[in-house]
Amino acid sequence: MSETILSIKNLSKTYDNGTQALADISFDVKKGEFLVVIGLSGSGKSTLLRCLNRLLDPTSGQIFFHGKNIENTKGRAVFSVRKKIGMIFQQFNLVPRYSVLTNVLTGKLAGMGVLKSFFSLFSVEDKSQALDYLKLVGIHEKAYLRADQLSGGQQQRVAIARALAQKPEVLLADEPVASLDPATCHVVMDYLRKVNQELGITIICNLHFLSLVREYATRVIALKDGKLVFEGSPDQITEDWFQKIYGEGAREIHVQ
Amino acid sequence: MSNKNRYFLKARIFDGFNILFILMVATVVLIKPSQNQLLDLKFNSSLALLFFLVGIFLSSVLSQKGFLTWGNLIFKSSSEKPPQPISWYKTLWGWQALIILTLSIVVGLVMTNFSFYEILNREGIDGALRLLTGIFNPDWSILPRAVNHMIETLFMAFIATVLAIPFAFVLSFFSARNVMESRVGFLVYLSLRTFFNIARSIEAIIWAIIFSVWVGIGPFAGMLALMIHSIASLAKQYSEMVESVSMGPVEGIKSTGAAPFQVVWFGIVPQIILPYISITIYRWDINVRMATIIGLVGGGGIGTLLIQYQGQAMWPQVGCLVVVIAVVVCLLDQVSAHIREAVK
Repeated sequence: MSETILSIKNLSKTYDNGTQALADISFDVKKGEFLVVIGLSGSGKSTLLRCLNRLLDPTSGQIFFHGKNIENTKGRAVFSVRKKIGMIFQQFNLVPRYSVLTNVLTGKLAGMGVLKSFFSLFSVEDKSQALDYLKLVGIHEKAYLRADQLSGGQQQRVAIARALAQKPEVLLADEPVASLDPATCHVVMDYLRKVNQELGITIICNLHFLSLVREYATRVIALKDGKLVFEGSPDQITEDWFQKIYGEGAREIHVQ
Repeated sequence: MSNKNRYFLKARIFDGFNILFILMVATVVLIKPSQNQLLDLKFNSSLALLFFLVGIFLSSVLSQKGFLTWGNLIFKSSSEKPPQPISWYKTLWGWQALIILTLSIVVGLVMTNFSFYEILNREGIDGALRLLTGIFNPDWSILPRAVNHMIETLFMAFIATVLAIPFAFVLSFFSARNVMESRVGFLVYLSLRTFFNIARSIEAIIWAIIFSVWVGIGPFAGMLALMIHSIASLAKQYSEMVESVSMGPVEGIKSTGAAPFQVVWFGIVPQIILPYISITIYRWDINVRMATIIGLVGGGGIGTLLIQYQGQAMWPQVGCLVVVIAVVVCLLDQVSAHIREAVK
């Protein structure tokens, strides 16, 4: 817990339709953290993550990755930023008709030539690595099944393996368990923690359920209406803070 | 403009055209204009405009007085209360609709020279019977020639489709809104879509006439005509498929740091490959039918043979060609339906 890996300074994002999703957000992310972002739907959590790996272009502000500003990178440099900052999604976003293994191999696309990718010429090394990552998330037996034949929880684990194939330094997780049932929730979260602790990959994760936050987060930030309203450790989220973040009269739901 | 005003305006324009039509027909019937007068576009259009304005005026006055015109009935805003249920013949709109529809049918019959006399004309009937007897007694001796030309037609359609595929495939991504996100991309998208619409609105038969002058009469001209038409049609249908893909996998591939070509190849192509095959087979099916017609204007194949025999009034030979065309079109229809079902 020393080196700052990501440093966000005065980040703002206004969509073309005039909605301001992020307003002047600043925070630091330390290497090896499991940082959780909480807040109501529409508070800007997803926009924040998508700005960090440049799936969206921020309107203003800076993002320093290892001290280098990646907010103004253009063209091919953006692809290498995305490669180093992997992402998993609420809807898994796998290619449904491809096999599990091919889906993981798409994590190796960054920097691969046009001809090689046209003929899907992944190297033997890439393939064995992909299988290793599938083993890590406990799903290597399904490597040759089509991705859409898997259950939601299994698909999310494949998505984690795909992101790992990128050899990322940071993994963004946008509501990774919001479309899963409570039992599967913990399986996926446990794999995220494993990735965080065993591989030392920094994780920034959007979550809804506070009980999950308390269990997995090493640090928490909270957004409300696009502004940063809380920054601290999970046990600092008192009833008072909870009301402030989620609004008066909000009540907590527990996931077992 | 408020919603209510918009409905009011539409109703007035509709009634205006109604009354324009009635007054024009009345004028023609009353003064029986000469051919020269009918061709005087400048005077006639001014007259039409005058009648139109009269119509709008009349319709406004009537609806101000509380009458429900046909226009009011069709273009009423949803906020208005529905009209009282009364028998149609007690309403203005009922009579207006009746007059307009009757008048349209009468004018239409007059325009198309509808005549029972011609249908029942003895000589005409004899001619038609001669022709039909010929067609229903096909001359099978020309069957080998017919088959050879049919094969030419089939391959004309096949090559036109195959050559159109790569062009349409590549262009389809450049004319899909969800791929062309940037401002420059939008311009490319817009100009390609406009080009396809123009190319498609020019019938293949017109392309065939152009190409038969360009490269000479024959199957090559027909093939080129079908190809141009197929590129435009396929690209439009393909790009609609691209636009309907789910964007989740696309975002997923993008997040790995893949370049735009890789995003399309891994994120979009697997989602569209089956609909593409289905659309393409159907296009071949359509092209075979179109190739027959294109032959009529010199595009080669069985259509050219057909127009030759028809020009010489060789009806038994025409009959043989008709049978061959019907059999092939039916068969192909079945085959393509089965394949499309299978690849779904």
